[in-house]
Amino acid sequence: MQHETINGFQRGAPVLELRGITKRFPGVLANDRIDLEMRAGEIHAILGENGAGKTTLMKILYGMLQPDEGEIYIRGQRVKFHSPQDAIALGIGMVHQNRTLVAAHTVLENIVLGHPRAGRVLNLKRAGEEVAALCERYGFKVDLKASVWQLSEGEKQVVEILKALYRGARILILDEPTSALAPSETEKLLASIQAMANDELAIVPFITHKLPIVLATSHRVTVLRGGRVTARLDTANANERILAREMVGREVIFRLERATVERGAPVLQVEGLSALSNRGYLALRNVSFTVHEGEIFGIAGVSGNGQHELAEVLAGLRPAVGGRVLLDGKDITNASTLERWRLGMGYIPAERNEVGSIGDFSLVENTAMNYYFDPQYARRGIVDYKAMRRLTEEIIAHYKVVTPGPDVRARNLSGGNLQKVILGRVLARRPRVIIANLPTQGLDVGATEFVQNQLIEAKKAGAAVLLISEDLDEVLALSDRIAPIYEGAFMGILPGGEAEREHVGAMIAGTLPKDLVV
Amino acid sequence: MRLGALEVKLQPRASLPGWKAALISVLAIVVALLLFSVLFVLARVSPLEAYREIISYAFFNRFGLPLSISRGIFLLLCTYAFIVPYQAGLWNIGMTGQLYLGSLAVYAVVLALGGKANPSAAYPAGLIIPLLMLAAMAAGAAYAGVAGFLKGKFNVNEIVVTMLMNFIAFWLVSYTIKEGGPFMGGSGEGEGFKLPAALNAPLVAGVPFTAFLALALAVLLTFMFAKTKVGYEIRAYGKSPAAARYAGISGLRIPVLVFLIGGALAGLAGYHYFAAVPGVYKIPTNYGYFGDLAFYGIICGLIALGHPLPAIPVALLFGGLSVGGRFAQGKLHMNFGLDYALLGVLMITLVAFQFFYRYQIVVTRLEREPADVRVLR
Repeated sequence: MQHETINGFQRGAPVLELRGITKRFPGVLANDRIDLEMRAGEIHAILGENGAGKTTLMKILYGMLQPDEGEIYIRGQRVKFHSPQDAIALGIGMVHQNRTLVAAHTVLENIVLGHPRAGRVLNLKRAGEEVAALCERYGFKVDLKASVWQLSEGEKQVVEILKALYRGARILILDEPTSALAPSETEKLLASIQAMANDELAIVPFITHKLPIVLATSHRVTVLRGGRVTARLDTANANERILAREMVGREVIFRLERATVERGAPVLQVEGLSALSNRGYLALRNVSFTVHEGEIFGIAGVSGNGQHELAEVLAGLRPAVGGRVLLDGKDITNASTLERWRLGMGYIPAERNEVGSIGDFSLVENTAMNYYFDPQYARRGIVDYKAMRRLTEEIIAHYKVVTPGPDVRARNLSGGNLQKVILGRVLARRPRVIIANLPTQGLDVGATEFVQNQLIEAKKAGAAVLLISEDLDEVLALSDRIAPIYEGAFMGILPGGEAEREHVGAMIAGTLPKDLVV
Repeated sequence: MRLGALEVKLQPRASLPGWKAALISVLAIVVALLLFSVLFVLARVSPLEAYREIISYAFFNRFGLPLSISRGIFLLLCTYAFIVPYQAGLWNIGMTGQLYLGSLAVYAVVLALGGKANPSAAYPAGLIIPLLMLAAMAAGAAYAGVAGFLKGKFNVNEIVVTMLMNFIAFWLVSYTIKEGGPFMGGSGEGEGFKLPAALNAPLVAGVPFTAFLALALAVLLTFMFAKTKVGYEIRAYGKSPAAARYAGISGLRIPVLVFLIGGALAGLAGYHYFAAVPGVYKIPTNYGYFGDLAFYGIICGLIALGHPLPAIPVALLFGGLSVGGRFAQGKLHMNFGLDYALLGVLMITLVAFQFFYRYQIVVTRLEREPADVRVLR
């Protein structure tokens, strides 16, 4: 009954059509005459960089925005959505990137919450059976009685999908479905997506990067750039190079040139360092390494294996419970964050919105985060905002930050542009050592390439770079030495140029390959 | 919402220029006065006449105006005491206790100098008055500093701490001025002893000099927030403690610092009202009334969006209406607390209108739907 508006799809039959969708915002043409056709049983990836118009299109599809021009057809019938309720009623479901679940409620309660059939009295038993049937059908494994706060990011994603399916969605819009997931979770999710497509659902994932995933799972791809469709092709005819070129608008080099720089004196020395996690268990166990001038030292690992604690201890944001840290031979184990900045440490935090920037502050004020204490920019307790402004303008120009100006609030910048500002202001201090924690996470292809090149440039200029990344290919491509981290300890330290992807992959999963000699 | 061919929507604002914020506040005041008219009508008083009495006494009467200014300045200092921690994202609900401690410190110093036993002695006012002000500020700062320290060191909620410390301070004052307390006045009627005449604060143009000091403080505080390093640290901590930590800003120093400054300003409010306003010059029996009035510093601070300069007209308006309201109540023989009732309605309306600081009403004309479009609902 819940599927009545949309049932009876034939595989391959068009279920949703957009014709000439145009949406303008003040000063921006977000969507420019976009045509799109979804078919039943198809996974149709929408690719595009930040700012390409993906989010706007997605909101139009889901009834959150109304197009200025253009038409939407569902099974050949022209429709107009005034709100997401209208879209839901016609079988469109949206799985948000920012989860909308109630943490204290169970999985089942979250799925049933707000469902039109839930009524005033909940029949949780019947709902539980129905949801369990959905899980079985599509291969989802999630404990319906668990509270949402106990779930991993991947499991939360599954709950969001189940919520949409339970409401009768036959066209599923997925916003960056794999961006927060660990590799094993990604595989499971992709298998379930395939199963759903086989069941005649139309799946529309919106993806910024991770081209391999697009190539492996989708049937067709539409690429957006600058609000327009730049390519529309069958995945069978696509490859990474083509997709990246259409997305960025120029050739993207996937093989980064490993710059060979004469390795200099040791800058950052870490000896037997240990630290506790927020929950109080030993998250970092007895880690020792040295990073030299002109070297990128890469730490590879799956999220939650102690690399985040390591970064925070080094930045002075988390106390060490054992071991010591030397910067240019000076013991800084107990130094304050500010002293570390003054001694030449630069830290690029993983949480660029919560830690690396202040959303309500202008870009000038954000730049000041790493300079307000610097005698060059603050004399007699007065911050020289004019000089701060000049520096910000230089960063904007040099790093090609897309922004109306230096007085814009940081929250209005896209992730990639914000990361450029953070990177720029940290690098402008010419730090002796740079700790880059997940510097390219969530960035699109162009911004990722840019950030990676900046780290290489810093290395060439003689900085010691500590790169922490969950992207194995990034660590392999950039690092001079690689330390796979597992459950808070290094599994070894490998030379970067010769490390085999398979070996490092096994080591971050906690196994030592037999044929590897360390 | 649809009205005929028009669609009315609420949209979040991207930004709010200062003049629009001011316009919204003025609108809110007008609405509040209209709402309050109902009470006048119910009491069989003409609202127009009542408002004329209130406003003419508060702002155009040679007795009323100095009173309004003194109260407004008192409120303004309490507003600063709220604003400084507020800029650091912390809530000072303890201006009441801090100003009590400030006034106690003033009279402790006077007592130590023998001012209670010998009220007509000659004192070097130019020396002693600054000392009294410093004592008031130090006591207020120390009292508020407890909350800042507990917040910074142990993350204890500052609202609860400052609020509860108000009660301690209230009874401390009661202990000192009543029933044989050390500051009890000669009459024994539950008020403090009188400030020696030589130590009465000098008047400038008929109002205590502290009024001009308070106005200058608005400029100083604005400069501090906008230009100085410490102002930057306070604002960064206020917007995001995690980001501030990353920038090397101490999570202990900032809470302690803002509460020390806030407490000092509340302490100064205590000096101002109980040792500088003509006709008071003592801790009066109804000191609780002024403690309650201090809470309006929170409202003034919120209406001014945490900025010291716009707080000036707001605090002066509130101070004036409390004076005018009290006067009109007597003159028109009304049988309820007109001053606080009026402030209360004004407060609720202004807070409700803050909604429009964040949202705006947008009216758009709906297009006619083509005939073949399936429109839901």
